[in-house]
Amino acid sequence: MALQPKFAERQAPFVVERALVGEHPAIVKLRALIERVAPTEVTVLITGESGTGKEVVAQAIHTLSPRCNQPFVPVNCAAIPHDLLESEMFGHERGAFTGAAGSRHGLLATADGGTIFLDEIGEMVNGLQAKLLRVLEDGVVRPVGADRATRVNVRVIAASNIDLGKAVEKGAFRKDLFYRLQVVPIKIAPLRDRRSDIPLLAEHFLERIRDRTPGREIAISREAMVALWSYDWPGNVRELENMVERLALLCEGSIIDTSILPENLAASARPATPPVKVKLSDGKVNLNNLVRELEGRLINDALKQTEGNKQAAARLLGLKRTTFSAKLRRCGVIAPPALDECEED
Amino acid sequence: MVVDDDQDTVAILAHHLQREGFVPIEANSGAQCLKLVHQNEVDVILLDLMMPGMDGFQVVRALRENPETAEIPIIMITARDDLDARAEGMRLGVSDFLAKPVFRRQLASRIRAQLEVVETARSAVAAMDRLEAVRRRSEKAG
Repeated sequence: MALQPKFAERQAPFVVERALVGEHPAIVKLRALIERVAPTEVTVLITGESGTGKEVVAQAIHTLSPRCNQPFVPVNCAAIPHDLLESEMFGHERGAFTGAAGSRHGLLATADGGTIFLDEIGEMVNGLQAKLLRVLEDGVVRPVGADRATRVNVRVIAASNIDLGKAVEKGAFRKDLFYRLQVVPIKIAPLRDRRSDIPLLAEHFLERIRDRTPGREIAISREAMVALWSYDWPGNVRELENMVERLALLCEGSIIDTSILPENLAASARPATPPVKVKLSDGKVNLNNLVRELEGRLINDALKQTEGNKQAAARLLGLKRTTFSAKLRRCGVIAPPALDECEED
Repeated sequence: MVVDDDQDTVAILAHHLQREGFVPIEANSGAQCLKLVHQNEVDVILLDLMMPGMDGFQVVRALRENPETAEIPIIMITARDDLDARAEGMRLGVSDFLAKPVFRRQLASRIRAQLEVVETARSAVAAMDRLEAVRRRSEKAG
């Protein structure tokens, strides 16, 4: 998923495949759902980890809707201080509170006729949640300090990186608002769970770099691509996008190779289990888990050395065959197959 | 489904999966995997690469080519540093990989992650169906 459509793409007609790149079934179905939900007026709740492209989805829904020529107003509820969010959203009258020198339109009024995108809606305080619910139900907005409410026609798309259902259970989010928001729930999978899209996305970002710098030849080596594919991307598509941009900057030739990969990425291409190095001074340790891990590794090594012969492996570790088998089951170690495969290690 | 030519490995993996609350189906060859996948409802396939006869890659290709099985998540089990195997798995579109030795907790969490993505795709389809039903109702009424 491209998170920030670049200028050239904005000029071209909007194509959802260009905004949300991927062939994984979850992303193919997500695109179909976006196309289906966009022309309706229903409220949408988007859930996904940070960097998965929630705003891209919101923008795609707006762009494919009949409201596309009206404003799209994104609001990050976590970025605006709690006490300011209400007046930002609803506007205020002159003298409504200390410092309110003049009256001001709120973001809901700005979005009139269009779409408002409320990101990180889980951060909204309870009082404001109630006020938003009234907007959703009656379409009326009452600015802070105003006697009268005005009518707005706004489509609401909300997003959260936390499970709002759980927040409702804990009492941190209003149940009535939750059900009103998630008329159509849209979930975006983390990138690591749709790993097969990583090469496609990396190539998409490279293509954008080539478009931006005509004449520049740039590609990713097979080994480097395997490293990108193997990495877990906690920052999801946004992190991958930034990484490809960064690697292209660092790359002096035309091939991005493993030599310029940062250590965490290079390590994902060789996930050799590091030796257990723990000091009690590091803080709390879980001795049982560590012992089990060490057992697992030694059992695995012994099996490798003995070409999978359990009797010999047990002898090597000074264990009875039955004890060895029990440990093997408990540690969850898979006996390595033939030695020729292991010798590559 | 657990697919490996090594009986012990299949037994150990199946044992761990059971303890984590899954219902494992065991297959000892690529051919058996392709047969059983049509006889059972399979959510995720754990696939060893090095098997005599039909190897893991051929199994991936066969599963992906058949529309009925194309969307089943495949987690391939590779040797620790086998870059070539991973490159080939990446090319064929496997869903995830686990490097040996495989630990139970890791195994369970990777499987659950794949089940969750399947669920995400299903919820998108369910939402589309609901929208379609609403549209039809409003067409009838209007």
